[in-house]
Amino acid sequence: MQKDQVKQYVERYLASFSSHIVEAHPDYLTVKLPVEVDKDIGNRPFYWSWVEKMNLAYQPLVLTFAFHPEAIPEGQRAEYLHLGAGRMQQIFDSTKKHGQFVCMYEQVPREGLLPSSGKRRSTPLVPWLALNLKVSLLCDKKRDILLYTGVNLHEPRIIHEFPAALFRLPLSPAIPDYCFTLERRITIQQAADLVQQEVANVLEKEDQSWAQEARTRLEEERAILEAYYEELALREKEPNDEAVEESGEQNEPEATAPMEPEIPEQTVEAPVQTASLDEYRNTGGRILDFLRANGIPVTPREQIDQTEWRKSTPTEERQRRMDELSWQYEPRIEIKLINAGLFYLHSTPQTRRIL
Amino acid sequence: MPNVPVSFDTSWIDPLTTRMQDDGPWDKWELFKLALEAEEAMAVQDFDQLQCLKYLPGLTPYPHQLETAERVLNEMRGRAILADEVGLGKTIEAGLIMKEYMVRGLAKKILILVPASLVIQWTKELNQKFGIPAVAQKKEYMWRQHDVVVASIDTAKRDPHRRHVLDIDYDLLIIDEAHKLKNKRTRNYQFVKEIRKKYCLLLTATPIQNEMDELYNLINLLKPGHLGHTTTFSSNYVEGKRQAKNNVQLRGEIGKVMIRNKRSDGGVHFTSRRVQSVPIELSKEELDLYDGVTRFVREQYHSGSGGFNSLALITLQREVCSSKEASFMTLYNMHQRLPEGSELRQQIMELVELIKRIETHSKAAKTVELIQNINDKVIIFTEYRATQNYLQKYLHEHGITSVPFRGGFKRSKKDWMTELFQNRAQVLIATEAGGEGINLQFCNQVINYDMPWNPMRVEQRIGRVHRLGQKRDVHIHNLSTVGTIEEHILNLLYEKIDLFEMVIGELDDIVERLSLTQSLEENLVQIIMDSRNAGEMAVKLDNMGQAIRAIRSANPSRVLADTAEQ
Repeated sequence: MQKDQVKQYVERYLASFSSHIVEAHPDYLTVKLPVEVDKDIGNRPFYWSWVEKMNLAYQPLVLTFAFHPEAIPEGQRAEYLHLGAGRMQQIFDSTKKHGQFVCMYEQVPREGLLPSSGKRRSTPLVPWLALNLKVSLLCDKKRDILLYTGVNLHEPRIIHEFPAALFRLPLSPAIPDYCFTLERRITIQQAADLVQQEVANVLEKEDQSWAQEARTRLEEERAILEAYYEELALREKEPNDEAVEESGEQNEPEATAPMEPEIPEQTVEAPVQTASLDEYRNTGGRILDFLRANGIPVTPREQIDQTEWRKSTPTEERQRRMDELSWQYEPRIEIKLINAGLFYLHSTPQTRRIL
Repeated sequence: MPNVPVSFDTSWIDPLTTRMQDDGPWDKWELFKLALEAEEAMAVQDFDQLQCLKYLPGLTPYPHQLETAERVLNEMRGRAILADEVGLGKTIEAGLIMKEYMVRGLAKKILILVPASLVIQWTKELNQKFGIPAVAQKKEYMWRQHDVVVASIDTAKRDPHRRHVLDIDYDLLIIDEAHKLKNKRTRNYQFVKEIRKKYCLLLTATPIQNEMDELYNLINLLKPGHLGHTTTFSSNYVEGKRQAKNNVQLRGEIGKVMIRNKRSDGGVHFTSRRVQSVPIELSKEELDLYDGVTRFVREQYHSGSGGFNSLALITLQREVCSSKEASFMTLYNMHQRLPEGSELRQQIMELVELIKRIETHSKAAKTVELIQNINDKVIIFTEYRATQNYLQKYLHEHGITSVPFRGGFKRSKKDWMTELFQNRAQVLIATEAGGEGINLQFCNQVINYDMPWNPMRVEQRIGRVHRLGQKRDVHIHNLSTVGTIEEHILNLLYEKIDLFEMVIGELDDIVERLSLTQSLEENLVQIIMDSRNAGEMAVKLDNMGQAIRAIRSANPSRVLADTAEQ
């Protein structure tokens, strides 16, 4: 995003919440944040929790955003907004949160309507489901493919680049006069299944060398590890015997062997994520309760034990390294929804299938 | 794709269905479009191309830094040793790599382990230069609550912190000053080995300080077995402790996990160093003291009758080169430790009498003159606190503002002194340890008030100001009192081996290839203490200088020296 694009984006974002622009200047703007915007990008969750609990009138936050680092207004606390700015990411998150699901109707021009002489509500609108997906190809590297699909829910079929067609149409959130919607013959779940199949087709045609390469590297690295730990086991038998003499019998290899099956499986998946504070508050929770539930207690002094230190056994170490390898290289594909919409269209969307 | 697991997120189906049943609430069309545009702006279109720069408008990395980041990401797959020479910006390289993984969504949970003195600096730099919300670890809960944590390794390895750290899966682990992990028997090494990590960066300017094994141990933290088992490694690659064999092959293997950019590679423009010796003639009284102390040290060193340890004597010899104030404290302490009525006490009292008789301040006076001529910010380095205090007083009496700087200062005080120096004072008087992690590029004048006997320390002093970001030529003024050891040493370091024109790695290299059994410094001490007279000392130093020069001009054949060219 270039500077001008950032500016336009922010202006459109603020306008869609009917924000009050206090001062507009080519290089910067000062805005009084509306409630929803304040909650998303204002960085004051405690303030909001307090205002709402006490039922107070809120004091809007007034911010100045500058779009050129060299043209920050003098004497004002302005914030330089660019693609990498933390606030910009918050704005992005806010649009995703507030632009998730839409339902729009095509506005049919009067001359397009069937003669209204006899019957009313005579123009049919076809239901479409727009699914905008982000497909991420992951290994130790990553690439995203954005797939914008549209499913005709009346006569099931899929088209690509659906939004491009939509942007050319006059759309409104209300159904126009003299129009009716055709029935949906498949459910959302069925439509999702169709799209999933279509994504698989698309991926089949994609270059797959990245996954092959990742697998090859994984195998190579595994082989090195295998060889290394085998040799380690072989070579370090003798030093191990010495260690036994020093540190008593419990370290004997025979004694540790039965322990091995009990070594906990190392989880490669990310640890279970607790709900974020925002999510928690949106469901009506109190910040303090959240912190109590999710806080990390300080370890009491008497439980601190500096002596409790155990080096991993070679077997554990090997397992850990193997897990790390899979975590790093194993190719996988994640498909996530960006947003979705129901569209009732009179015209047939003109799109080319690009893939 | 064959056998590649695909996860298709369906968590949106229920909420959408509910909204359809209730016919709303629906979001705004404009926000729907903006959300799509946001995804387009953020999407990673390419596996290999660096994405992070478009998020960092304020940062202009050097070409070698970008190239390093790209190699680590694309060839080394995120596990690498960054071993650039001092001053080439390893932190910037690590920051770029970290940012790239974050932007790509490949790293979220990140741990940065650094020496305690650098925690704040790292935190600041990541926030300011890279927009990475890093926090300095202070409380126990922070390990979990924050995604990017900077901590000292000595804290992290202790309970209860250790439990948290070893319990978390880190997407990226960064260790600064990683040469401190060279010994695999230490707790620090073993602790780092236990941390679960996906990507890992080890930063060090000196991957090999003494032995080949050090590099082997570092690589084993990154990729166990990359160089085979210890014994295999030794028999395949190690000739002697410091000597490698099968160089080409070893270099190839090391090149897969380590990047070492050197100043001499060019690409980065460093300003020049202008070195100047400032000869100082001592007054008669000052020379008397110097001679008296030197004689005393020499006698005691060889006879050992006073029971002084040799280290104390050598210190005294160095101090008397610095200032009479520095030597006074040591003499006083020696005096107090001797039994009452000892003959040596008498000798020391005589030396103290010599100190009392001195009324001139030849060195300090020359320094004031220098500073006045320079008429700009100046850093004065001395090894001794007594000299530091005395100088500050002396400069003050001559209307020159100065601030002190010591290794023992807390970080905040160091920052404060740096700021005072930048904005209020003309002179910063620093003792040796004051250096690590402080950037003083705004100053380009250095006065070496006394000379460390260890050439590496001289280089570290200069490295404070002569690094990336220094816009002007750096002027180095070496005070050299005529007819003293200092003059000889300066002669050796500067005239004979061109120390000041060398780079850190090169000096290391030379010392190593000299196969000096002790460090350069110890050799110097030996020469100075064993020479019966100035003439003999001059000859011996001269020999040493010639040996060093001969090696320097020989073609370097070291492993490290060449990996960068791979």
